[in-house]
Amino acid sequence: MAADEKKKKKMSVAEILAACRKMDSGQKAESGGGSEAASEPSAAAASQSESPQGEAAQEAAQPASVSKAAKPSSGKRPSVQEILAMARAEKQKKAAGGTEKAAAAAEKSAAKPAAKKPAAKPTAKPKPAPATAEEKPHSSNILAGEETPKKRGPVPKSVLEAARRPARPKEEQPAKAAKPKPVVPPRPTRPPSAKAKAKPDQQRRGFLAVLGAMVATPLGVGFSSLATTMGLWTLGTLRFLFPNVRIEPPSKFKVGSPADYPPGYVETKYKTQYAVWIVNAEYKGQQQIAALSTVCTHLGCTPNWLEAEQKFKCPCHGSGFYINGINFEGPAPRPLERYAIRIAEDGQLEVDKSRKFQEEKGQWEDPDSFVPA
Amino acid sequence: MHGYDPAFQRAVSEFSGIYYLGAALMNAGAAYYLWQRLHKVRDALVWLAVALLFVVLAAIAQGGSPVGLPKGVQDTLNTIFTGNRGAVIFTVGTFAFLVFLYRFRTFFVRPRVAWTALNLALLYLGLSMTSRPFWEIVAKPDNIPIVALIFLLGFFTWLATYKAVQNDQRAREGLPPLEKEDSEKVLVWPDLVYTELICMLALTAILLFWAILIKAPLEQPASRADTPNPSKAPWYFLGLQEMLVYYDPWMAGVVLPTFIIIGLMALPYIDFNKLGNGYYTIEQRRFSYAMFQIGFLQLWVVLIILGTFLRGPNWNFFGPYEPWDAHKVLVLNNVNLSDYFWIDLMGTSLPKGGTVLGILKREWLGIVLLLGYLVLLPPILAATVFRKFFIKMGFIRYMIMVQLLLWMMLLPIKMVLRWTLNLKYIIAIPEWFFNF
Repeated sequence: MAADEKKKKKMSVAEILAACRKMDSGQKAESGGGSEAASEPSAAAASQSESPQGEAAQEAAQPASVSKAAKPSSGKRPSVQEILAMARAEKQKKAAGGTEKAAAAAEKSAAKPAAKKPAAKPTAKPKPAPATAEEKPHSSNILAGEETPKKRGPVPKSVLEAARRPARPKEEQPAKAAKPKPVVPPRPTRPPSAKAKAKPDQQRRGFLAVLGAMVATPLGVGFSSLATTMGLWTLGTLRFLFPNVRIEPPSKFKVGSPADYPPGYVETKYKTQYAVWIVNAEYKGQQQIAALSTVCTHLGCTPNWLEAEQKFKCPCHGSGFYINGINFEGPAPRPLERYAIRIAEDGQLEVDKSRKFQEEKGQWEDPDSFVPA
Repeated sequence: MHGYDPAFQRAVSEFSGIYYLGAALMNAGAAYYLWQRLHKVRDALVWLAVALLFVVLAAIAQGGSPVGLPKGVQDTLNTIFTGNRGAVIFTVGTFAFLVFLYRFRTFFVRPRVAWTALNLALLYLGLSMTSRPFWEIVAKPDNIPIVALIFLLGFFTWLATYKAVQNDQRAREGLPPLEKEDSEKVLVWPDLVYTELICMLALTAILLFWAILIKAPLEQPASRADTPNPSKAPWYFLGLQEMLVYYDPWMAGVVLPTFIIIGLMALPYIDFNKLGNGYYTIEQRRFSYAMFQIGFLQLWVVLIILGTFLRGPNWNFFGPYEPWDAHKVLVLNNVNLSDYFWIDLMGTSLPKGGTVLGILKREWLGIVLLLGYLVLLPPILAATVFRKFFIKMGFIRYMIMVQLLLWMMLLPIKMVLRWTLNLKYIIAIPEWFFNF
């Protein structure tokens, strides 16, 4: 019984809708594709849905989806059984090309096609009598009830409940089961426990089916390809953040021998390429050769070395720095930064821009930040 | 100063000729209007005479040597407005001038007085143009909107004050404001839309001619090693750039502008005065009016003018007629408050600032001063100056209002402290990037 339930539940609303749409298009274009094979019998069967049998079956098996099929068929409305059969065929076909899970489901459904229907039908078939009560709700109204529950209109409560059933939480089941009784007798045959059990599985299947629909329908194809394109495009754009070649000067470079820097000398020729001044200046009573950053510590402009005034002066907000980099005028809150400097093996000075030394943190005491002159 | 430069002379002559002719036409038009429409023949004759004076100036200018401001006056103005002292004189002077205008607004809003002031301003600008440094600042394509702004702002401030003075007079006589009297409704279409269409066309035409006549102020290609000297922000941000001189970039670039925006958004909720809705008035909204004009005119527009005309290379202060010398030396040896306290007053070296306690000990005076300013001042003000406000507004609204006011006032306070005492930061904690 539970297995049968599962089989039945496999047909989610989305699947059946998709199948109906396929059938419609097949009817219109008269092009008999693989899945459209199912639509042939439906086209042959004229106005079968009017029969009470059809209604009852429809009532039993997810009624909400049927209306779409019924509406556009231009007089030749397929019976519910036909639609279901077609939907099943469609599902099978889809599953064949889809994930292995769906394939397995298709196998099962192919293995016992007979067991599927009886579970629902027997309950519905023997009742041609309540047709009067169910005549109205059977097609478009059911869909309306499914889509906008507010619009009760002519739809009997029982049908609405049936349409909404999959979304219902567990605790409401007994109440619902009690309500439809007066209108639709077949309901009690469904064990509520089985229904509840089947739920998570159905959700997963439904998800797979939605995935399938996303790939299979023209709209789905369109949006999927759009999303894929946009995603690749974004990734391609992000790729620009990681260039193959970075044209940057090396962080370590030689700046000549210490003898090139007499006391009080500021070398400005490395400013353009390396953004560094090499100075030989006094700091805390010691004559030191240091590499000063050319970035103003106030807001990042590039100061100029004014030889006559013996100071670095920023043109943006007027910050001034002594030759050793200590700030003394304007708004700059801290001294210029030093880069690591050392005497390389060949006796030349080597600046390493990857390491910074900030005076206010006491890092200028670090012997790596200067070369004694 | 730069010697005789024929190209410069020709440019100034041509400009001055057209400029004075424009001023003459303006006055002649006014005279015609007074004569034909208002039938004030005597006034019309006066303005016609002024127009003729401008025509004479134009003729002299076209002759090749426009009349300039006497050298002595230029030098005097230069010495007044140069350096830090110049900045103090300029800002305090403009403030005093604005207060003066406000105090005697009933006199200054008279059309005759206002028109005279406009003519004097035009004459002053024209005469100053013969000074090359002044010309180079004012005629720079960058700065043309600023000159236009000065005149436009003057006009609109005059217009608003004129209407406010009239309304206040009417209120004293028990009459409704002019705007309420003339409350005849007009239609959006065609009345408003038609006007807007004409304005749109006129503005488009002006922009087109502007783009054709004045070359775009393009500079050399950007280079990180070469910042232009002086490096000026776009004109509308010069006030912000000026603010950055006095505060840490974090404060002046982020916190204070945020306060400006939040404060402007909060204004409608702070305001409790129901008067002045839909018409111009000053007397019914003295406090709001004064605060707005201080914030806008003094702390934004005046700073724009200061940044445009008085800030030169290396962001030094220069007089309006002073050549921009990149090697001008100004003593700007800025000192933190903690230095003043520990080194000058206590005669010791600064306490070591490695730890939190050390930093607190070093900067305690500044922290106490700032907290006192922001925490103690509001209740004191509530008990004294703002007693009525506090009662009317309630605690929260009053607190928000007074905090915004105090933060706004921090800027001029800091500026004057910087210029007079060379005070750099009240609280200086470079270790945490917190300087105030």
